[in-house]
Amino acid sequence: MAALSEEVLLVLKKVRQRKQDGTLYLMAERIAWSPEGKDRFTVSHLYADIRCQKISPDGKAKIQLQLVLHTGESTTFHFSNESTALKDRDAAKELLQQLLPKFKKKANKELEEKNRMLQEDPVLFQLYKDLVVSQVISADEFWANRLGDISNADPALYNNNNKQEVGISGAFLADIRPQTDGCNGLRYNLTADIIESIFRTYPAVKQKYSENVPHNLTEKEFWTHFFQSHYFHRDRINTGTQDIFSECAKQDEKGLKSMVVQGVKNPLVDLLSLEDKTLDEGYGVRTAPPSTSNANRTVKESSNAAIIKRFNHHSAMVLAAGSRKGETPTDQASETSSTDGNSKDSDFFQPPVKKVKLQEAIEYEDLQRENRIKTVALNLKKSDRYAHGPVPLQSQHYTTSQDIINSVNYIQHEMVNYKPNLTQVLSSTAASSAIAALSPGGILMQTGAQQAINQMIPTEVQGELKHLYAAAGELLRHFWSCFPVNTPFLEEKVIKMKSNLERFQMTKLCPFKEKIQRQYLSTNLTGHLEEMFQTAYSKFHIWQTRRMMRKT
Amino acid sequence: MKLNIDGLLVYFPYDYIYPEQYSYMLELKRTLDAKGHGVLEMPSGTGKTISLLSLIVAYQRAFPLEVTKLIYCSRTVPEIEKVVEELKKLMEFYCKQTGETNNFLALALSSRKNLCIHPEVSALRYGKEVDGKCHSLTASYIRSQRHSEPDLPLCRFYEEFDAVGRQVPLPAGIYNLDDLKDFGRRKGWCPYYLARYSILHANIVVYSYHYLLDPKIADLVSKELAKKSVVVFDEAHNIDNVCIDSMSVNITRRTLDRCQNNVDTLQNTIHKIKDTDAAKLKEEYRRLVEGLKEANVARETDVYLANPVLPDEILQEAVPGTIRTAEHFVGFLRRFMEYLKSRLRVQHVVQESAPQFLKDIFDKVCIDRKPLRFCAERLQSLLRTLEIADIADFSAVTLISNFATLVSTYSQGFTIIIEPFEDRTPTIANPVLHFSCMDPSIAIKPVFQRFQSVIITSGTLSPLDIYPKILDFRPVTMASFTMTLARTCLCPLIVGRGNDQVALSSKFETREDFAVIRNYGNLLLEMSAIVPDGIVAFFTSYVYMENIVASWYEQGILENIQRNKLIFIETPDAAETSMALEKYQEACENGRGAILLSVARGKVSEGIDFVHHFGRAVIMFGVPYVYTQSRILKARLEYLRDQFQIRENDFLTFDAMRHAAQCVGRAIRGKTDYGLMIFADKRYARADKRGKLPRWIQEHISDGSLNLTVDETIQLSKHFLRQMAQPFRQEDQLGLSLLTLEQLESEEMLQKIAQIAHQT
Repeated sequence: MAALSEEVLLVLKKVRQRKQDGTLYLMAERIAWSPEGKDRFTVSHLYADIRCQKISPDGKAKIQLQLVLHTGESTTFHFSNESTALKDRDAAKELLQQLLPKFKKKANKELEEKNRMLQEDPVLFQLYKDLVVSQVISADEFWANRLGDISNADPALYNNNNKQEVGISGAFLADIRPQTDGCNGLRYNLTADIIESIFRTYPAVKQKYSENVPHNLTEKEFWTHFFQSHYFHRDRINTGTQDIFSECAKQDEKGLKSMVVQGVKNPLVDLLSLEDKTLDEGYGVRTAPPSTSNANRTVKESSNAAIIKRFNHHSAMVLAAGSRKGETPTDQASETSSTDGNSKDSDFFQPPVKKVKLQEAIEYEDLQRENRIKTVALNLKKSDRYAHGPVPLQSQHYTTSQDIINSVNYIQHEMVNYKPNLTQVLSSTAASSAIAALSPGGILMQTGAQQAINQMIPTEVQGELKHLYAAAGELLRHFWSCFPVNTPFLEEKVIKMKSNLERFQMTKLCPFKEKIQRQYLSTNLTGHLEEMFQTAYSKFHIWQTRRMMRKT
Repeated sequence: MKLNIDGLLVYFPYDYIYPEQYSYMLELKRTLDAKGHGVLEMPSGTGKTISLLSLIVAYQRAFPLEVTKLIYCSRTVPEIEKVVEELKKLMEFYCKQTGETNNFLALALSSRKNLCIHPEVSALRYGKEVDGKCHSLTASYIRSQRHSEPDLPLCRFYEEFDAVGRQVPLPAGIYNLDDLKDFGRRKGWCPYYLARYSILHANIVVYSYHYLLDPKIADLVSKELAKKSVVVFDEAHNIDNVCIDSMSVNITRRTLDRCQNNVDTLQNTIHKIKDTDAAKLKEEYRRLVEGLKEANVARETDVYLANPVLPDEILQEAVPGTIRTAEHFVGFLRRFMEYLKSRLRVQHVVQESAPQFLKDIFDKVCIDRKPLRFCAERLQSLLRTLEIADIADFSAVTLISNFATLVSTYSQGFTIIIEPFEDRTPTIANPVLHFSCMDPSIAIKPVFQRFQSVIITSGTLSPLDIYPKILDFRPVTMASFTMTLARTCLCPLIVGRGNDQVALSSKFETREDFAVIRNYGNLLLEMSAIVPDGIVAFFTSYVYMENIVASWYEQGILENIQRNKLIFIETPDAAETSMALEKYQEACENGRGAILLSVARGKVSEGIDFVHHFGRAVIMFGVPYVYTQSRILKARLEYLRDQFQIRENDFLTFDAMRHAAQCVGRAIRGKTDYGLMIFADKRYARADKRGKLPRWIQEHISDGSLNLTVDETIQLSKHFLRQMAQPFRQEDQLGLSLLTLEQLESEEMLQKIAQIAHQT
């Protein structure tokens, strides 16, 4: 049944499915269809389950829209309202086009995220096994407030790679396979992904797009122009026709040139500075390369050269599109540091690329004995913050770094000139007896000699206990998080959680207790756990009696 | 560790050693003991440089009177810097072990472009511009002019160096290029001249081949280096070409036009000077009559004009009378130039020897051999007398006069070829006169004669015996070392057929064959799907690569490859290629993976290493034969046949295989590295080709991998890559391909080591 709260985005009447007339509903999270005259949905798909949509070609008599699910099944809708069928279909298509990518990403992201968390955190994984796999609570419940925590937590703090951008496939242009449509024409299939790839890789095209669409050209016309242009088929020699993309080509050329002029950072790959002393002009056996003037280059040759250039440029752009996001912050960082006026210092501390590369090149790692301890690299986003500590917002409330340095100096000074006040010290015997009394095993430390739970109990039991604690803690956390119980949902949950707790006590805790009782009668290891459960139960009882009272 | 190499205490700055390094040092020690020359081949990535340095430094310390200097020649600037860095490491180790700072002075020398610290001059981009600008600030006569006109620009670094720099020698230490610059900046001295001055008393000098092999430079820079030096040519597999290049000259119509302008300028300047300062010309004349050599003072800055012939060929007599006065000399140059112009007006190809040329020039324009021989020297004197400020422009007339001197000095080993047009474009007239050296031994001869030990070493020198032949010297040791491996980290495969059984080959007849091109494409495509990170593919020539790329593009193969990896392609433009290379590395670095299409004999194949993930597979498409239709090559082959009894085919194959080995060897740079080496041409399977590969590659080619189809190759590669992907730790190598001192000293190991060196 349709939940009342669902938002209906689009309703289309006269849509047939399996030769039955009906109404198509596009909701916020799913697409559904109900047969005419009935008030329930016979077809309902969550957007997240849909892999893609297909539409019938323009010329066809039947106007259809097909949804392909991840499972491989598909559902076809036939738009049968004569006057507006096409419009209806396009409206549905457009909306789906916008909605589907969102859900696709979301579904994948969530799964990935969960998977990653479980892999990275063995405790959590154990917990998951204890609680979900053994069916104490359901997976949804388990994740319910886990994921919430994560989204609240600072993502950067959690993991920097969290939001790693998906790069662009190198072959996205190749994926647009033109198909002949039977009457001497070509058809290209474009998807939102491809368009995004084109825009990300060729910002010039994006600019053209925003300039021209929709006031000068329709979207379709724009892409038609694009595929017809010399720009797309770079191997064709420019015939001089005025198309809107010739400018893009020029821009690309410029970009390429500027990249070349910038030169390379790594001196080991800089072919220009490779040779120490080139022969002067006119010397040497090999003659100068054939002059590159266009006069004696055939058309074929220059088109070949254009292809090569294009591939280099394309690959560079794809690469740049992938890393563009990452680059900007470093740029900013360098800018800020240079505004400080101490960019020189940073140069000084950072070994130049050349030196590093040279050192790398002469390194023989296997000849050296591995005796350095692997250290964790300190990954600083803002090194000056590390050096100076948090920068105060209102400086008058805080001490400046100068103050800190001063005080450190002051303390140092104090320490140097420290003279013990010899009249007020303990005698040496009294001092040593005090130390003895405070040392482990001394008189004052005897109560603390509950030493060595870890020595008395074998490790596997310890491990089990740890798991129990973790699992119980998790359940209790769920339980306590329900208070104060002020919504019906929470009420339901708290009851469920209580039963979960009881089940846990029965299935996990009791067997464990029996087991240790068989072996170690003396120690009551589970005492604390039981105490915690008891507290929870009593809280539950109090709450329940109160509720009863309120109800009656 | 401290090693005992045949009675010599050698400090080796690592805790472990490769067996072949030990063996290499042993051979090297023998060569030095015998005071002879050596040819040593050791695979790249087995620590050749550090072995060389460790042993020679130890030798120098033990026998300071026997070996006074090490001259280490390498090919590229990064290589030079790497050597110095390794040397630094060694010296640090010495310091730590002996507890004393030793008084070794070692430095790198490079061209002004890499050493200049003058703010304006060093900002220039090209080496030639830097040289020209530097010269315009520091030339001797410009500096003397400054006495009368003090507001002329000067280079304060040079002035400072000239004033005080020579009194105090450079303090002991290891100076890389950047260290020299730092030192120069601190002291305010010119690092370039400081380095050039300091190499005379340095214990170790690291610089590029040209400083020793190009007579035009060697005369100025390396003239006074001590005889008791050890000279090492590292990466020497192309040394013959370097020798030949430095002695060959090409003259085009454009050169002659520019020369014409130069001569006109000279004439005008002479006229002007005659009006104002006739005494100067008279003084020059007087000097020439007396046959006085230029006084050697303050000449180091005038590098640009040195004699193009080797020092022992320079005549020690006065300049002949016909070209003694300035005007006569200019007239002489004009006549010579007109003669060359007339020779370029040919319709068909002409090939002649130097004596024939000299006879013809005498018959036609009555120019004798003797004045021609003095041409370069005379021009040098004239330019200095005229005090021409902007000297870079006179490269054309310098070239012509160098040619004159060379052609009249050497009657053997050179040939003159005049081609009216390029072979590819027979309709466009573009006459070129090639004066080309065919005998690499001419340029290197003085090096062998002068220095007591010359070591020629590289990763790929096979077959070893051809180098002594073409360089005309007698080595005392020749050895090829294998790479001892705990796991077979290289996998050479020869692909001879496509999946459709079409024979794969880049030979001329099947070059345009679509089936071959398609199969090559399939090979690359399938490799791109299974090889992680970087793949480098080499083609036999640039034109060939262009054609293949175009037809792959048409067939849609490149698109499919792009699904797996990004594609980068070498272009003739060095700057563009550098960028592509950097992007290629970036793509390998960030995990996307990339393919670099490149050209054998190109800059990439000669100077760039593809370590670890930068090159997990190298594919060599075709056998990189040199363009055999070239007349210069034909002449050279003929010469080799007549003079050294080397058959044409042998040399061509040798040349092709050394380049192929260079290309595939780029991928393996060490024992922890691994890579596939795919030779995609059925001709590699033949014994005559295969046998010319270096031993360390050859011994891993099994009979089962000789004529594979693409599919079989993929299967074998997959298997290999899967094996290599297993963790490889130091313990795995220890005792086999990596030794501790104790292991090294065991009797059994010493016997094994003896087998590593393959004597020829």
